[in-house]
Amino acid sequence: MFSEQAAPTAQGLLAPPSAKPPTFPRVPVSGYSDCSQPFQLGERSFSRQYAHIYAVRLAGMRPGLERRARSRWGNDTVLRKLSELQAGEKCCVVGTLFKSMQLQPSILQEISEEHNLVPQPPLPKYIQPSDELILEDELQRIKLEGAIDVQKLVTGTILAVYGSEQDDGGFLVEDHCFADLPPLLPWTGPSSDRFVLLASGLGLGSVSGEALLSTQLLVDVVTGQLGAEGEQSCAAHITRVILAGNLLSQNTQSRDTINKAKYLTKKTQAASVEAVKMLDEILLQLCTSVPVDVMPGEFDPTNYTLPQQPLHRCMLPLASAYATLRLVTNPYQANLDGVRFLGTSGQNISDIFKYSSMDDYLEILEWTLLAGHISPTAPDTLGCYPFYKSDPFILTECPHVYFCGNAPHFQSKLLQGKEGQRVLLVTVPDFSATQTACLVNLRDLTCQPITFSGFGADSED
Amino acid sequence: VTYKWLSYTLGVHVNQAKQMLYDYVERKRKENSGAQLHVTYLVAGNLLQNGHVCHKVAVVREDKLEAMKSKLSTIASVHVYSIQKALLKDSSPLYNTDYDIVKTNLQHCSKFSAICCAAAVPRTPPDAPQAPASAQSPPRQRDPGAAGAVNGHGPPAAKPPPQQHRGIMGMFAAKAAAKPQDTQKEAKAEAKEAPGVSAASSKPPTKNSIMNNFFGKAAMNKVSSVPEQPKEEKEVVKPSVAVAEPESSPNTVAEKPGKKIESARNQQKDKKSKTKRAHRSDDEEERDPENVKKKRKRIKQLQSDSSDEEDVPPSPTPEEERAPSPPPAPALKTELEPASTEGSAGGKKRKRKRVLKSKMFIDEEEGCMGKTG
Repeated sequence: MFSEQAAPTAQGLLAPPSAKPPTFPRVPVSGYSDCSQPFQLGERSFSRQYAHIYAVRLAGMRPGLERRARSRWGNDTVLRKLSELQAGEKCCVVGTLFKSMQLQPSILQEISEEHNLVPQPPLPKYIQPSDELILEDELQRIKLEGAIDVQKLVTGTILAVYGSEQDDGGFLVEDHCFADLPPLLPWTGPSSDRFVLLASGLGLGSVSGEALLSTQLLVDVVTGQLGAEGEQSCAAHITRVILAGNLLSQNTQSRDTINKAKYLTKKTQAASVEAVKMLDEILLQLCTSVPVDVMPGEFDPTNYTLPQQPLHRCMLPLASAYATLRLVTNPYQANLDGVRFLGTSGQNISDIFKYSSMDDYLEILEWTLLAGHISPTAPDTLGCYPFYKSDPFILTECPHVYFCGNAPHFQSKLLQGKEGQRVLLVTVPDFSATQTACLVNLRDLTCQPITFSGFGADSED
Repeated sequence: VTYKWLSYTLGVHVNQAKQMLYDYVERKRKENSGAQLHVTYLVAGNLLQNGHVCHKVAVVREDKLEAMKSKLSTIASVHVYSIQKALLKDSSPLYNTDYDIVKTNLQHCSKFSAICCAAAVPRTPPDAPQAPASAQSPPRQRDPGAAGAVNGHGPPAAKPPPQQHRGIMGMFAAKAAAKPQDTQKEAKAEAKEAPGVSAASSKPPTKNSIMNNFFGKAAMNKVSSVPEQPKEEKEVVKPSVAVAEPESSPNTVAEKPGKKIESARNQQKDKKSKTKRAHRSDDEEERDPENVKKKRKRIKQLQSDSSDEEDVPPSPTPEEERAPSPPPAPALKTELEPASTEGSAGGKKRKRKRVLKSKMFIDEEEGCMGKTG
C-alpha cells in the first residue's frame, strides 16, 4: 500500500537540500461518530447479582437464535424450553452453555480452610478431557452429550441445540448452531485510500528499552517526520490512530507494595506514574498531528471489570489539551468515515483462549463473531459489570472491522457472511514484543502490518 | 546528530534536515579529510514475511544498508537518519537524542513535520475549568482537615484565567494522583528545603522565609496541594503589591510553603510555573486589592467568629465541586462526600490557626523562629 505509491521518490532525500520541501496536509476527518455509548457506565452499583446478565443475554439472543434454528433445521422444528421436554422427541432448545471444568480456579476452593489447599497457580489453559457441557435456560439445566465439541465451547455462549432427551436425563445433541453473523450494516466507506493505524501493547514503563525506539519510529512515521516524500504523503492519509490497550506494561503493576511494610514503601512512587508521563509525551506528539483514540487495557490504570471505562484525562494533562485525543472505553465501537469499527483490548479473547481448545486468536475472534457475543465468558471467568437491563456485549450489527488487541502475532482475514456481510478480522499484535502495528485501508478493507526496528549490538537483520 | 535533532535546532523542515545531513556526508567524504563518519540510514519498504506482505521501517547502519535494501521487495524510502563520529553499538543513543530534543520542544513538536493536521487545535479554555475544579477536589479530599481558611482563598482565586490553571493543575493533578500519602511528608521535607529553593526562585526577604518554614512545619497538614494555585498568586501579590502589612504577610506566608512545595516538587517544570506566575502577575494586578481585601476580611472574621467562616469558604467550595458535571471518575464521587466533613473539620483547624498566627507575630518581633502548638 504505502510502498507502491512511495517508491518513485524513494531516494529523493539522498540529495542536497532542495528549495522548500512540501508539507502535506493530513486528510481531514470526515465522518466520525462514537458508538460506544452502551459501554459507558454512568452510575455504577455492584449490589446486583450477576445472574441477571445471563437472563438478559438469553432473552436478547433468543429471537435471533430461534430464527436461525428454523432456517437451518426446517420451519417446522419444534422449539421447546427445557421444562417442556419430552423424552425421545426431536426438538430444538435454546439456552446458555455452562462448562464445568475441574481445573477452573474457584474462589470457594481457595478460601476453604478445611481443604488447606494452596491456591492454584495460573495455567495457560484450564481445559481437561473430563469437562462437561450443560445447557441452561431460564428454569432448568440439562447435560449435553453427543455431537458437540466440549473442548471448544466456553461458558456463557448462547446456542441452539437440536436433538432429543435421553432416558438418563441427558440431552443427545445431533446438531447445534450459533447466532451467526449479525445483520448487515450498509457500507458507506470512502472512495479514496484512507488508513487507520491500529496498535496495542505499547508497554511503556517496562524495564527494557528496546521497544522505545520502535515506538518513536512509529510516532515519527505517523506524524510524517520519517520517510521520504512519497512515504510522508502516504502517511498523510492515515486518518486515525487507535491504541488498543496495554499502554503500560505489566511491570507497572507492582502489587508487592501492598505486602511490604509501610516504611519501606513510603517514598517510592508507583511505577505507573513514570509510565503515564511517558505515555503523555508520546500521545502529545501524536495528537498534534493525527486524531488518536486511546483504549484502556489489562494493565492500564482504570477499572478491571469489562467494560473498562476511559482513562481519566487528568492523567494526560499535556495531551488532553488537544481535541484530537479521545479517551474511549474498552470495548470500543465507532463509525470512521462510514466504516464501523468494533474492537477490544484482547482480554475477552485471551480469556476464551484459556478455557477453550482453540489456539489461534484469529479463530477465536471469528468464533465470537459467529456466536454473536463479544465476550461470552464475561461474568464467569472475566470480570464484568452486573448488567441487568441489557447486555451490551451482544452483537446487534455486523461491524466492518473487528479487532482485538494484544495478540501474540498479527493475523487478519476477510470474512464473508451469507447476507453479504464483509468483516475484516484483525488481531493486533503486542507492540512491545513484536514491534508491529497494523494499517487498515478503509477503502478496500485490507490490512497490512508495519514493523519497526532499530539495530542492536548483535543484530544481523 | 539525528535528522530530528538538526531539524529542531536549526528550525528547518525535517526533509531539509535529512537532505542537509546527506549533503554534509557527501562533501566530507569527497574531501577525504580523514575523520571517519558513521552514518545510519532509515530504510522502509515491503518485505515478504510469514506469507504476507509486511511494511518494514528500520534504522540500519551504513554497512547493513545494502543488505537491507536487497531484502526488501519494494523500497519506499531511504534517507539519512543520523551521523556520528563513533560507531554505534546499538540504537539507544539515537533514541536518547531524539527523546531529549523532543522533550524540550514538546509544545510544537509537529512544526517541522511534513504533515500538518488542521484538526489538532488545543482545546479552548472553557473546556478546561471543569478539569481544575474537579482536580481540586481530589487533592482537597486528601487533607480533609485541610485548611478551611486556606480553602477559602481557593475559590476567589479560581476566577483568574483557567488556562494557567490548566497547566498547573494538570501538572499538579498528574503528580497529585500519584502521591496521595506522600503529600504531607514530602511537604514537610520540602518545606525544610524551602528556604534554599525560595531564594533561588523568587526573592523573598529572609524573615518571610523563616516564617514560611515555621508556618510550613506547623501547618503542613493544612497546606494541601490544591490551594497552592491561589497561593502562587498571592505570592505574586506580595512582590507586586509590596505592602508589608502584617495581615497580608501571614497569608502570603501561607502561600509560600504551598508554593514552595509545588516548586520543589515540580522542579523540572519550574520554568513553566515561573512563566505562569509572571502571566498571573500581569493579570492579577487589578485583582490584588480585592484578594487582599478578601483576605483581610477573612482574618478579621477568624478572630471574631469562626462559625461565620465556616459558611463563607465551604460554600464556594461545594459550589465548585457541584458546578462542573462530574466526569465519571470514581475518585470524584468519593470526594464529594467528605467535602461536607471538610467544612466542620476546617473550623477546628481555623481556630488553631488563629492561635498560630498570633504566635507568629510574636516570633516575628523577636526575630526568631519559635514553635507553637
